[in-house]
Amino acid sequence: MKQTLFLHRWPLLVLLLLANAVLLANLAAGEPKSWAAITWLDIAGEGGAAFLSLLWIGLILNSRPAGRVTRLLVAGLIAIFVAYWQDVLDEVIALPATVTWDHWLESGAMPLGMILLTLGIYHWHREQQAITTQLRKRERIFREHRRFDRLTSLNGAPYLREQLAMELRHREQPVALIMLDLHCFDHSRRLLGSADSDRLLQELAELLLLNLRHNDLLCRYAGDRFAVVLPRTGHALAQALADELQQAVASFAFKTRRGETHHVQVMHGLSVSFEDSADTLIDRANHSLLQARPDQPRVA
Amino acid sequence: MSGYLADQAFIPAHHQPAVLIDLIHDQGIDLNRLLRHTGLFQQQILSGEARLSPHGWLQLIHNARRLFPDPELSFRYGQRLFPGHYGAISALLGNAGNLRDALMVFTGFSKLAFPLLGARLTVTDRHLCLHWLDSCGNGSEHRFVVEAAMAGLASVTRWLSGERLPWAFQFRHARPSYPEQYQVHLGDTLYFDGQLDAMILPRRYLDIPWPGASTIAWQAAKQQCQPQLDSLAGGDSFRLYLYRQLLQNVASPPSLQQLANPLQCSPATLKRRLRDQGCHYQQLLDQARLHQAIHWLQFHDYSTDQVARQLNFSDSTNFRRSFKRWSGLTPAACQRALAATMGSLYPA
Repeated sequence: MKQTLFLHRWPLLVLLLLANAVLLANLAAGEPKSWAAITWLDIAGEGGAAFLSLLWIGLILNSRPAGRVTRLLVAGLIAIFVAYWQDVLDEVIALPATVTWDHWLESGAMPLGMILLTLGIYHWHREQQAITTQLRKRERIFREHRRFDRLTSLNGAPYLREQLAMELRHREQPVALIMLDLHCFDHSRRLLGSADSDRLLQELAELLLLNLRHNDLLCRYAGDRFAVVLPRTGHALAQALADELQQAVASFAFKTRRGETHHVQVMHGLSVSFEDSADTLIDRANHSLLQARPDQPRVA
Repeated sequence: MSGYLADQAFIPAHHQPAVLIDLIHDQGIDLNRLLRHTGLFQQQILSGEARLSPHGWLQLIHNARRLFPDPELSFRYGQRLFPGHYGAISALLGNAGNLRDALMVFTGFSKLAFPLLGARLTVTDRHLCLHWLDSCGNGSEHRFVVEAAMAGLASVTRWLSGERLPWAFQFRHARPSYPEQYQVHLGDTLYFDGQLDAMILPRRYLDIPWPGASTIAWQAAKQQCQPQLDSLAGGDSFRLYLYRQLLQNVASPPSLQQLANPLQCSPATLKRRLRDQGCHYQQLLDQARLHQAIHWLQFHDYSTDQVARQLNFSDSTNFRRSFKRWSGLTPAACQRALAATMGSLYPA
């Protein structure tokens, strides 16, 4: 809380100063109205709008990092707040007819705020497009932030099942699924300790993302097992891509916190859709992985 | 002395509970929220003085699950648990010369190794079965506790033996919505909706020598662990001690009065103490009889009539009715399910 306040001290200071300046200017130029002359409904309406714009400023500052887009959004909302604030003060303070700046404040600040806000939202949209491109291989088509795995910020198995089910609706095009499993991760975890082995999974996720195509999707299935969905991909191509991933990991030299190199290997299992549901496709890929594991007795 | 109680504070908080505290702390979660209602304070844990009851530990698990609702938590917790740094018991486990020695830590020293669950080992010609038993009335946390214990044992036996042991896993609970966690952390041989929480392995793994064990260190550790156990109940909880009394004489089980005698208390007192542990006499008796029946059906190929006779049922109709009440299945249906399980396990 303290940190948030400190980070956004300038916008908050400007807001406070403006609100005070408008109040003082009104008091200096006009006379407070008598109780009978006050319309409470107007105060409630305009005051409510002013209060809501304050709430929006709070939410924006709280949820966004400082930067140009945040500045534009907040500046716009501050201007809108000032317009409403003058509106509210109008209801309780009678200004002489010779004063005209209050009209300018009311009718000028509002459009100005709207323009700034529009600009802010436009840039926010551009920013979001950039983020989406970055996230593209981690999430596709729709976002569900509650499903994010906290360790690798990839999506988990439930999202994998949903995406596969979606891809499998296009019967005419094959979907391939690769399952990747770290070789002896149990061993690595005990050797490296929890912090380093968690970081190993994170860095491995980044490495795998770098080796994927534009439309592929990487999920963390569970533990040290990753799943790659390859839409519109047949068996030969999927096999080639899986080999590439395996090679990429083989030449990955993970560094522990003490700076030592720890090499890892992945094994892969592969399945290509053929009259499959999401679950059977996953099962077949897992089964294929099991066959590839040298430390696993082969189960019929 | 007749076994530890669910609300008896004897577990050093810097031992097994601290592993969970560390794990949650690594996720950047506020420790004060994690320790709420457990009676623990951070400072106290660091000084090594804090002791936790099984109930306190269960509360800690409850808090952890609420603050970090990730189905992977129990498995990661289990994988970090053993052999651990818990003094003599960790030395005993770490120096186990083979699987038999390692399993003894869980069957005979559960008070020191993992007080929330006891274990019973059955060895037949072909299989070994480690059956996990509720020690303290784990209630809604039981699934988490079982997941952690199984992941822990699978991981530590793999580490100490140097090979991946092909465990089969049997669970009382239904297939969860996150089967992938079981698959990746435990293995692919999983059976849900069973009657026991158990791990099964071909018998030949039991006595294969493990590398890196020291016989002297193992003996010394055993000597150090022994005095920490109870004179009567050994490493078991009070509830488990009574369960084993019933199990040992399952054909003619001791009455409440007979159970109370060696404890030098009245049946009424025993009844009250059992209620404090979240169970009652009839429930323990039914459990013992069901578990024994399952063992006979699953590992000794008894027919249901043989089981009925061994359990001293006068007629098979009576037995079928009782069995249905204990398990929700008829003996025949249960036997079919078990045969299917055992048939698909390690085909010859």
